[in-house]
Amino acid sequence: MIFLKRQLPLAVTFVMGVAFAIQYYIPHPVSEEAITNVSKWMQIISGFALALGLASIFHVHAVKIKRQVPGWGYSIVLYAAMLATIIVGFWSKGETRVNGAQTALGWLYDYSMVPLQGTMFSILAFFIASAAYRAFRARSREASVLLVAAVLVMMGRVPLGQFLLPWTWDVTQWLLNVVNSAVRRAILIGVSMGQVALSLKIILGIERAYLGGGRDQ
Amino acid sequence: MKDFARRMIGIDRRIIFLLIAAAVLLPLLRPFGLPIKISPEVRAVYDYIEALPERSVFLLSFDFDPSSKPELEPQAVALLRHAFRKNLRVIGMTHWLTGTGLADDIFSRVAAEMGRERGKDYVFLGWSPGAGSLVIAMGQDLYKAFPSDYQKTPTQGMPVLEGVKSLRDVNYMVSLAAGNPGIEMWYVFGKDKYRFEMAGGSTGVIAPGLYPFLRSGQINGLIGGLQGAAEYETLIKRKGTATAGMDAQSATHFVIIVLVFLCNVFYFVLRGEEGKSN
Amino acid sequence: MPGPVLPTETLLGAWVAAGLTLFIYSFLYKDNPLFKLGEHLYVGISVGYSVVLAWHTVFLRLLWEPVKKDIIENPAALGSYVLLIPAVLGLLMWARFIPKIAWLSRLAFAFVVGFGSGVAIPRAVSSYILKQIEDTVNPLVIRGADGLSMGFNLASPQSGVNTIVLVIGVVSVLFYFFFSVEHTGPGRVTARTGIYFLMIAFGAAFGYTVMSRMSLLIGRFSDLIKYASAEYGYAALVLLALTVLALAAWEMASRGRHAV
Repeated sequence: MIFLKRQLPLAVTFVMGVAFAIQYYIPHPVSEEAITNVSKWMQIISGFALALGLASIFHVHAVKIKRQVPGWGYSIVLYAAMLATIIVGFWSKGETRVNGAQTALGWLYDYSMVPLQGTMFSILAFFIASAAYRAFRARSREASVLLVAAVLVMMGRVPLGQFLLPWTWDVTQWLLNVVNSAVRRAILIGVSMGQVALSLKIILGIERAYLGGGRDQ
Repeated sequence: MKDFARRMIGIDRRIIFLLIAAAVLLPLLRPFGLPIKISPEVRAVYDYIEALPERSVFLLSFDFDPSSKPELEPQAVALLRHAFRKNLRVIGMTHWLTGTGLADDIFSRVAAEMGRERGKDYVFLGWSPGAGSLVIAMGQDLYKAFPSDYQKTPTQGMPVLEGVKSLRDVNYMVSLAAGNPGIEMWYVFGKDKYRFEMAGGSTGVIAPGLYPFLRSGQINGLIGGLQGAAEYETLIKRKGTATAGMDAQSATHFVIIVLVFLCNVFYFVLRGEEGKSN
Repeated sequence: MPGPVLPTETLLGAWVAAGLTLFIYSFLYKDNPLFKLGEHLYVGISVGYSVVLAWHTVFLRLLWEPVKKDIIENPAALGSYVLLIPAVLGLLMWARFIPKIAWLSRLAFAFVVGFGSGVAIPRAVSSYILKQIEDTVNPLVIRGADGLSMGFNLASPQSGVNTIVLVIGVVSVLFYFFFSVEHTGPGRVTARTGIYFLMIAFGAAFGYTVMSRMSLLIGRFSDLIKYASAEYGYAALVLLALTVLALAAWEMASRGRHAV
């Protein structure tokens, strides 16, 4: 049983990892056929994996309702909205538009989900302004450099800034293409090396956190 | 002075909120229409599409959802108008489940406006899970990855996909991304192996992170945020929501710059006074 | 001249959209029941939409329809059943919900993670490491028609002078992040240089983030302005007034409760 619970998953990871790392370098018809099929399988498995995320939301709110924690009424609202969307969605056969005409699901999506999600994220504009006012201070030389760069980019990326101080456009272009690129590149190289190392550790069975789920014995 | 500075630094944040709201509202109601300058990275995308022969295959991936609609919808509209005007065959899709309805809406709206026909001039493949695996699957066999389009029509035999077997047959690809899965993923799992030319359109938040890929030629162009969208609208000579929003964009940036300036003035006043008292 | 009358569903949609937008913005005053209602509606509708789309795409489009077609066309061929393998692996993932057989999910995760790690290694090395290093070590001097020359044009990202700046930036930032030795002597200068490069990049990122957030606000406000027109029955204005009244009533009620 231990073999099934522990060794077999590690062996599957090892075989899959090695096979598909090597596949990149060997474009033989057999290996191409393998990646064609397995990438298609991965699409389907990823779809099933989505349910894991959704289930955790169901669970959190079900617990809130069951224990009647403060604000549990909102969890009922959440469940009601979810059920209504599912019913409307199946009734509309999962389509938001048929030949250009909006379905009931399309209506719910366009007039509820789009404004709600859009507004949720747009609200951050107010908080970033307030944070800039409170925290963006030239306390040190480093902070001053950050502040000046931010102000230059804010000027150089909008028409009014380009109109009042045309040179900010060129400076912004240079900052983005050269200085910013250098920093992002260094971070990219470093993080990618870490990712490759982690992938190797997973394939070799050194990193096993992803196995989680269930006891070994 | 010290008291005033202290009072101003501790000002109710709702006053700042009101200032920002006014900076957005007023220019939207009374636009002043300043000219839009074109950056080389946006022009590169325009020039590439402009040079494509008629009926070339253009893949547009809507890798965003309603949370970035104001930035990426104008980019999508401008790119689609350009592609349809050039009579390209356009394939649309999305990696973002919650963005599917929005992508379909934008795609069908612009296609209808430009008088293009579904199945013949364009196809919207919809959403499919898998991200990187999906891109690999498309690179291997498009019809296995998407057996049918968003409207459940089988993709095999569609006139718009004539001669297209996989991503290798795509002439140009643009990912309009608000994060991951998006532009980087399209490069890593797509262009790196299947060798199609590609560019990116992104939200402002992720744009600076894409400049290393632009420099190295891994993407041949980059449309960044609302400013990028306004530049593209200027290039295709058809103003849209991005150009209309740029005055408000200017105004809000200036309000923030003034706020940062004032905050620093008050900070130095307080620091100077504290220095004297010590 | 009055425009054409909008269809009822569009008009109703505009009122719903404007109302929900204002409910979320009411958070700017303070956390309140209207915001909480909007927030939970958002999560509920998003989850519902995801369920519907996942069912139609994954189960129907990718699995059921192709398998059904293959089996009808060729029931004896083993290949007709091959898509059942990922379906079984997908179902194994759900074993995680049943403690007794949760270990079965490990097989599915092993398959997914093994494949993901395998395909990621060569692609990450090629795209993120080799290609990025290749563009960093560009030649400084170029042989042109009139002999050797080095570009000093700051405006051209590929010029020799910019290549030097780029190399200094990449090396100093990598040094700052990845060499966890004490930064003294030349090491200190390199690390300090790295910090200044980082500060400029963070500044640029902040500028772009401001731009992005403001764009989102502009988008929502444009919709509210549209919904405030006579065509939409002044939806945004009427609902703004109602939202303010509701907030005032809620504020008074909660003050009353505190007073008691």
